[in-house]
Amino acid sequence: MDFGQFISYIASGTVYTVGVTLIALPSGLLIGTILALLYVYGGKAAARVMNLYSTVFRGIPPLVLLFILFFAVTRGINLSAFWAGSLSLGIVSSAYQMEIVRGALLSVSGDQLMAARAIGMSRLQSIRYVVLPQAVRLAIPPWSNEAAIVIKDSSLVYALGVPEILRRAQLIGASSQRYLLAYLSAAVIYFLLVFGTTRLLAVLEKKLTIPSNP
Amino acid sequence: MKKRFLLLVALVLVAAMLVGCTTETDSVLDKINQAGKVVVGTSADYPPYEYIDEAGNKTGFDIDLMTEIAKRMGVELEWVDMPFDSLVAAVDSGKLDMSISCFNYDEERDKTVDFSEAYYTTEDAFVVTSAFAGTITVPEDAANYKVGVQSGTVQDGWLTDNLVTPGLLPEASLSRYERVDQAALDLANGRIDVLMGDYVPIQALVAQNPDLQVVYHGELSTGPINIVLPDGDAALKAEVDRIIKELQAEGFIDQLAVKYFSE
Repeated sequence: MDFGQFISYIASGTVYTVGVTLIALPSGLLIGTILALLYVYGGKAAARVMNLYSTVFRGIPPLVLLFILFFAVTRGINLSAFWAGSLSLGIVSSAYQMEIVRGALLSVSGDQLMAARAIGMSRLQSIRYVVLPQAVRLAIPPWSNEAAIVIKDSSLVYALGVPEILRRAQLIGASSQRYLLAYLSAAVIYFLLVFGTTRLLAVLEKKLTIPSNP
Repeated sequence: MKKRFLLLVALVLVAAMLVGCTTETDSVLDKINQAGKVVVGTSADYPPYEYIDEAGNKTGFDIDLMTEIAKRMGVELEWVDMPFDSLVAAVDSGKLDMSISCFNYDEERDKTVDFSEAYYTTEDAFVVTSAFAGTITVPEDAANYKVGVQSGTVQDGWLTDNLVTPGLLPEASLSRYERVDQAALDLANGRIDVLMGDYVPIQALVAQNPDLQVVYHGELSTGPINIVLPDGDAALKAEVDRIIKELQAEGFIDQLAVKYFSE
């Protein structure tokens, strides 16, 4: 097997790595943002529930949740390994992203909310038009960290047999006995994915900066 | 509205769990025939039983055998690759119809899944590098050295039961690897002195690494290898056993052994 074939076999797993990430990260963001809004503005009871959610799902290793979802919860129903993996990672990530968004919401001064109410905005309007636009900008740096983590955690779905980068490196390593090369190739691909993503988010962060409010 | 969305999410999750709790009583064989395909799991990182060829396709002793079994069942064959550790759980949870991955009969595994008739019988081997200065004349001699083994295999079980538990081999001297070739790598690097594994793949390993040599082989932990089937599914087991016996009688399996195990 020549080097090109070797690399392209491993690299073709990128489709699954990117696929898992593109499901886990946005679904985690959606759930995380909604939960963070409920946490911060939803009253004491909601805050307690959200705190529990965050504690539980940040306390379970993603791989354990993955096995629970694939082998136990969805026993007998036809949830593919790919979806089971993507959803578990999405759930775990939602707990972390909730904390990121919550932190961002809280770092926008409460006075602004009061001021917005004073000029006649409703509570929902003040959150939507005053707090959120600032919070989004504050959330980007920690969020790019989370994006990197999810990309790398996507390798966990190998345990369910999804032929992503890591599993392909294992398979081709076994058949060719060239392990070092196989795992190094996998490492380089993961690095490029993470590096590209964080650079892209850094550009976004710069673009979104409000000149008067650095 | 956001609360309503949350409620919806919660309901969907609960529904998924409830659906998950229903048990199937029909034979998997009916399901296979209805779908016209059998979903079979394997861990394609264990040459020569199952591995990928240069084009990335699955090949090996088990792969060829299963292909023939599916053909004789009159259904399509759908492969699912999964790490070895996950295969039994996947058959048990109905994600796979069966698994073929050089499985030995094992009492623990038998509690959750069934085994077909044995389709082949294997041996165990101890392998060392040319730098090895000790001697292994009986398998218990391995206790004097640092030993490596693939985690969760029957060889791991044999070492644990016969050497570690009686106190012959210190736990710290036994390294368990996720895969046998990782152990071979450590053997070459001198982190372990002896590697115990299945004789047939060990021979393939030795063929690829001229520095390695087999110092002992015999039937210790292993023996017959079987296909893993869903628990208590008599109809499916009868069908698979019938085909295995047919293939043994025709000499098909011996031909496969010659094709994959001799050099």
